[in-house]
Amino acid sequence: MNPRTRHSLELVLDNLVWFMLVFVLAVFSLFIPNFFQLGIFANIVEASSVLGVMSIGLALVIIAGHMDLSVESVAALSAMAVGIMFCSSGIGLGVQLHPDWLMVPVSLAIALAAGAAIGVINGLLIVRLKMSAFIITLASYIWVRGLVLVISGGRSAQDLAPAIRWFGIQRLAGLPLTAWIAIGCFVVFSLILAKTPFGRHLVMIGGNETATFRAGIRVNRNLIVAFVLAGAIAGLAGWLLAIRTSGATANLGVGLLFNAFAAVVIGGVSLKGGVGTLPGVYAGVLLLSAINTAINLMGLPANFTQVIHGLLVLAAVLLDAFKQTIRQKLA
Amino acid sequence: MSEPLLVLDNVTKNYGAIQALRGISFSIGRGEVVALLGDNGAGKSTLVKIIAGGLEPTSGRMLFEGKEFLAKSPAEAKAAGIETVYQDLSLCTNVDVVANFFMGREITRKVLGVPVLDERAMEAVVGRALANAGTRIPSLRTKVEHLSGGQRQAIELNRFVHWGGKLVLLDEPFAALGVEQTRRGLDMIRQVASQGIGVVIITHIMQQAFQVADRIVVIRQGVVAGDVARNKTSPDAVINMITGETLAGAGPAG
Repeated sequence: MNPRTRHSLELVLDNLVWFMLVFVLAVFSLFIPNFFQLGIFANIVEASSVLGVMSIGLALVIIAGHMDLSVESVAALSAMAVGIMFCSSGIGLGVQLHPDWLMVPVSLAIALAAGAAIGVINGLLIVRLKMSAFIITLASYIWVRGLVLVISGGRSAQDLAPAIRWFGIQRLAGLPLTAWIAIGCFVVFSLILAKTPFGRHLVMIGGNETATFRAGIRVNRNLIVAFVLAGAIAGLAGWLLAIRTSGATANLGVGLLFNAFAAVVIGGVSLKGGVGTLPGVYAGVLLLSAINTAINLMGLPANFTQVIHGLLVLAAVLLDAFKQTIRQKLA
Repeated sequence: MSEPLLVLDNVTKNYGAIQALRGISFSIGRGEVVALLGDNGAGKSTLVKIIAGGLEPTSGRMLFEGKEFLAKSPAEAKAAGIETVYQDLSLCTNVDVVANFFMGREITRKVLGVPVLDERAMEAVVGRALANAGTRIPSLRTKVEHLSGGQRQAIELNRFVHWGGKLVLLDEPFAALGVEQTRRGLDMIRQVASQGIGVVIITHIMQQAFQVADRIVVIRQGVVAGDVARNKTSPDAVINMITGETLAGAGPAG
């Protein structure tokens, strides 16, 4: 095989999920009436913002060779904290700040801080006690959701302050600002992962933790930072979720975790760690969102969504194994 | 050699009731190559890990450049100038050759105050280092998982030659190398030592030890069973020290 074909083949393998996305969009556009219009595409991007942001944090820790099951509950906690503070009905306290825009940074800070706090706890327990991230974050997944129930008393907060809601309503180039925030996060964290020493170290830790430790990389510190980032990013996802639903309910976001895992795996991140890129994850998120939109448009019962997502994850894992064999033949 | 580079003074290591090291004492001079020999389980790798900061000794002390020295982590040992090549390779196979070469020491440039990897500068350095050592790797951007065992070991060896430091520890560095590469590896060691860097090489192969070392230290059952200059001993005598048939030139404990 000459280097040229090999190079292009590797390019296809590395960006397989983008080709899948284009393929799926093309097929849907051809066969589903009314699918091919700008509004639909905007809707796909818009509907994927919360899931997208959450997937970034999850992908970071998985690439570093660990995992974080708590992101969904953390997002719910942040959403509930924002909801209780700044909603005017239900259990909302309706806190007013003057000027109004001040509520935006304050609510954002609360959401991020709540998420980062859970991230610190996860990270410290995993690194210091050398316990499996699966168990520690599974515990967090449960107790943080419990905390949401406790602070809300099982009730919900409605009518989020308009100054914060503004981000969900105001549009720029056809997309609400919340979608732009998600896209911005993908750009920023993609650059961090690919271009900075911190990102490079995370990838290498995921590849061979012992080697990075021996090379003098501060593995523990890097891992804790990764978990704090995952928590804070989940907090941001919660903030976006509160805006989208204009409040928070006790069971907000249930099931998001599995979609996030699906998006991450479909996006080409290996659960073994060390492999994957964030642009790929974004493509995975968009792919899931496109399929949801298609199901809605075709008028299929929404129950089908879960079956299809499950099959898609299965396909992604099989595809990953298949890619490995092709790569071995290339080498 | 006015003052030895590293002095080990009665270093011990216990794993629970098991004494892996029962009191090791020897020293390494600047520019000296010491071959560390011993049977499986004699405690060679444990000793290397203690010097390199992967393990803490149970008792005893070390002097590095005349100062009390104890590395709590590999990072500290590295900062002091001790490079280590481990038996099981320390490469991240999921990233390319350049990233492995610069693991933990990436060249960066500031973009808007944020450190950003300077890939071009790093690739140039790696290209030069590998060319100098005569190692041929098709593309420096190839992920290490696609390289052969020999190529991987060559990367590690070139890495320590490039970074140098003051003391280099090599734990079975030639296990996966062919004849020609091994010869080149031994040349590399002499070259490194001639720059005044101390080298400790662990090996199983007597021939290699006699080819490269100035001094041969034999460890048996956690103590130094022999510490002799290469030109004052023979392979047979060293084998006897390893198996414990004689204690010719024995170290402090017996």
